[in-house]
Amino acid sequence: MAAFMGFYHIHDRGRVHNNRDYRDVEDPTPPQISPVEDQERHLQDALSVVKAQAFHMKRALDKNKLMDALKNASAMLAELRTSLLSPKAYYELYMAVTDELRHLEVYLLEEFHKGRKVTDLYELVQYAGNIVPRLYLLITVGLVYIKTNTSLRRDLLKDLVEMCRGVQHPLRGLFLRNYLLQCTRNILPDTAEEDGDYPEGTIKDSIDFVLMNFAEMNKLWVRMQHQGHSRERQHREKEREELRILVGTNLVRLSQLEFVTLEKYQKLVLPGILEQVVSCRDAIAQEYLMECIIQVFPDEFHIQTLTPFLKSCAELEAGVNVKNIVISLMERLASFSQRAEAIGTEGLPKKPFYDPNTIFNPVLSAGTASVLKDVKLFEVFSDQVASIITNRQNLPPEDMVSLQVALVNLALKCYPDRVDYIDKVMLNSAEIFQRVEHIESHSHVARELQKLLRIPLDHYKNLLVILKLEHYAALIQHLDFNSRKSLSIYILNNALDHETIIPSPGEVKQALTLLDTLVSDKNDQATTSLDMEELAEEQCLLARFIHHFKADTPDDQYLILTTARKILASGGSQKIKFTLPPLVFQAYQLAFRYKNSQDEKWDRKCQKIFQFCHQTVMALVKAELAELPLRLFLQGALAIDQIKFENHETVAYEFMSQAFSLYEDEISDSKAQLAAITLIVGTLEQICCFSEESSEPLRTQCALAASKLLKKPDQCRGVATCSHLFWSGKSQATNGEETHDGKRVVECLKKGLRIAKQCMDVSVQVQLFVELLNHYIYFFEKGNDQVSVQILNQVILKIKEELPNLENSEETEQITKHFNNTLDYLKSRLDTPDTDGISFEGLEI
Amino acid sequence: MASRKKVLLKVIILGDSSVGKTSLMNQYVNRKFSNQYKATIGADFLTKEVTVDDRSVTMQIWDTAGQERFQSLGVAFYRGADCCVLVFDVTAPNTFKSLDSWRDEFLVQASPREPENFPFVLLGNKVDLEPRSISSKRAQQWCQSKNNIPYFETSAKEAINVEQAFLAIAKNALAQQNSAVDLYNEFPDQIKLTNTQKPSNGGSSCC
Repeated sequence: MAAFMGFYHIHDRGRVHNNRDYRDVEDPTPPQISPVEDQERHLQDALSVVKAQAFHMKRALDKNKLMDALKNASAMLAELRTSLLSPKAYYELYMAVTDELRHLEVYLLEEFHKGRKVTDLYELVQYAGNIVPRLYLLITVGLVYIKTNTSLRRDLLKDLVEMCRGVQHPLRGLFLRNYLLQCTRNILPDTAEEDGDYPEGTIKDSIDFVLMNFAEMNKLWVRMQHQGHSRERQHREKEREELRILVGTNLVRLSQLEFVTLEKYQKLVLPGILEQVVSCRDAIAQEYLMECIIQVFPDEFHIQTLTPFLKSCAELEAGVNVKNIVISLMERLASFSQRAEAIGTEGLPKKPFYDPNTIFNPVLSAGTASVLKDVKLFEVFSDQVASIITNRQNLPPEDMVSLQVALVNLALKCYPDRVDYIDKVMLNSAEIFQRVEHIESHSHVARELQKLLRIPLDHYKNLLVILKLEHYAALIQHLDFNSRKSLSIYILNNALDHETIIPSPGEVKQALTLLDTLVSDKNDQATTSLDMEELAEEQCLLARFIHHFKADTPDDQYLILTTARKILASGGSQKIKFTLPPLVFQAYQLAFRYKNSQDEKWDRKCQKIFQFCHQTVMALVKAELAELPLRLFLQGALAIDQIKFENHETVAYEFMSQAFSLYEDEISDSKAQLAAITLIVGTLEQICCFSEESSEPLRTQCALAASKLLKKPDQCRGVATCSHLFWSGKSQATNGEETHDGKRVVECLKKGLRIAKQCMDVSVQVQLFVELLNHYIYFFEKGNDQVSVQILNQVILKIKEELPNLENSEETEQITKHFNNTLDYLKSRLDTPDTDGISFEGLEI
Repeated sequence: MASRKKVLLKVIILGDSSVGKTSLMNQYVNRKFSNQYKATIGADFLTKEVTVDDRSVTMQIWDTAGQERFQSLGVAFYRGADCCVLVFDVTAPNTFKSLDSWRDEFLVQASPREPENFPFVLLGNKVDLEPRSISSKRAQQWCQSKNNIPYFETSAKEAINVEQAFLAIAKNALAQQNSAVDLYNEFPDQIKLTNTQKPSNGGSSCC
């Protein structure tokens, strides 16, 4: 064997005088790749030579003329000496050539089996004058030789990987070594390492072989960076990116070896690779190769070698995107852990595991689940991320945050119960921002931080869990106002979508503190003009959220409401008009809850609640709002009337009178006035708790207020509405029964008719008559003896007289229709008399 | 002419990442299966000697990266293929949906002489797993719509149908090669039978 190898070298020496000088003798000048437009032509030229030479080679092989065939092969291989091609074009050429070489290999194997002398072949191979063809042929022959005689395997492999040093041109060298790697794939020794001399080789020899090839290829690849003009750097880096898989294939090969066990990986393979990666000090190579390690080796190995791997990450060049590497590993292991978990608990995964974002095979050995428990994934990554952040001075803050994002994802996937892990990440992140002074809105780092803050929400879908995170609120403070606000809205939507109930005063306080941007009127960007529509939209969300404050016990609920009001009251008039009403309604509901409870002190508690409501509504009054507090007071009066706690009449009266004074003092728009008086009348009509001395002035007040309305039609309608107070209105005096004061009803309606007649516009007049007619019919049917068929006839006649005088218009049409409908109704009553003891006899239609 | 000579067949395996391309090849060539996931980057091949219809055949099976980012040098290795094996995962609908694009991409890049008749074989892998999302019928319909591509349901893990599938692949590849071997087309242009100059004059051309 040694003699054979010696012979080899002698030949080299004979040809080029010095075996050290054989490097690059074929091309002393730096590579000059031709412009893109020429690439295709050069490639086609080369390919046609390859085609021709391959044809002759195969013909020669058919005729058993090996000598001729080798000459053709050599000529074909000589095309690979070109410096004109880009990596991709060269790859195409390389593929064409090596496809053809395969025919030579097949032939040689057969010849060997027939017993041709080995030395013969090597002799012939040496005829290749140039180093590139010669080495390709040597590899081809060497491979065949190993296949027929494994006892030379170890030495031959070592020799071949050394010999390839002869080509130092990066592109040519990389492809030559790729050929070596490809050819040896099937024959690398893959048996356990044992003591003693094994000429066939063991796994150790394979590892040495591939690691050496890897180191040499990496050097060639890195050297490309430093060749040529600096202005072509970008172009060069693009070419390097293209060539990277050739270097990475070495790692693939190592991962394919069956006897690269975990132990071998820990002791030999990984340290060997990492040493080369770190020491090459080339950012492109480091970034790619670290990623490559993660991809090609199995998770079971990574999980046991986290510390050395991550330590090496911290040592990489400044230009390396360490973040991506670490995140990629974290994501891979998180998915791995999830699958292990699924198998650990059920034996088989329950759902199809395919996820387009991951690339993992679902099948997993069950033993790994226990490994995962031993390896504290989160702690290891958390520590290493911290040290990367401390040691890499120029790591941009957004990358630091991205790492935290990955940590959170890891924790959520692997340890869904460990909320403390999430909190730890929040704390670490907050510490990062101690160093970062100001975060610009819409900057990368602001976006990353928002992402970080949203993940736990998305995952837990429960604001309460977020409130358990001690450092969450502190971290939010590092965002600028607008980002905080958009996060607040996100939190609100999350709580609303998932119907999260906030059950305690403490949590309410926490939640509202998180939502500070929406709750308080502090705004560190006060210059921006307020968009009312936007504000309304935000505040409505907040208002909906307030309805989710629900404690288990009424007492806690009361505390929740007082706590919430204290905070919400600071919001300023623009906000409280949205946020206080839900609190008031919650309080009314709470009073009902007390009423139905067994609580002995419910009575006094209800009183306290309505006090709270009163104060709250008054806060709105102070904010110069009128219609809203008026309605809230009326709603309160209705609630008080129904709950009937001790002293409730006084409180109800207070609420009603507050409503009245708001009406009188604050509401000036005539339309709003009519609406308000209608509401007041409606409310008063419902309430039955007042004694005569309270209800009488209130009713009279209503009638008076109605008759004082500015516009005649409003007066008319208001007065007509008031008529109902004297019919269906209730009070203590009537024992909660309807009053049925027919006389006063008719007085109201008559007053209405009078007012209607005063209207200048005839069409309005007729319209009011029709409305009044309907009131009359209503009371007639209810049995008010003060309303007679004659009165009805009078009103009908009056309308009939006036209606033809109206001009044709849409309005007139409406009025006519209303009137006809009324008449139709009366007709139907006439046709079916006596259904309820009311007779319409004598009615003239 | 080549009847007694050993035949070389080039087979390319394509499909999305993690459908089991490497596992199928390993099961077929080495009769081994591993649960561990290792991504394939770039492309390289294993060879397997088989006998098909009394002919000795060397199958060169190219395993490829399913993830495009791992093919930075392009797909020059598609050229000269004799058969293309498309693989999907029967439990992962997305991998089935990608089949069209893999097939189209192959035909564009490999540019075989008769694209309509180029032999493909479809493998639905991981039949050992539940639940299935692509039924046999659906896969077969797809195959029919593509000029009757043979379809096999395999499990690299359980070695189900792997041998049969690759035998069919070999047969199809062989048929393709036999039909494609056209001596005169392969012959370089500059050969002239009539005249004096021979393309190679036997001596010193190579050095």
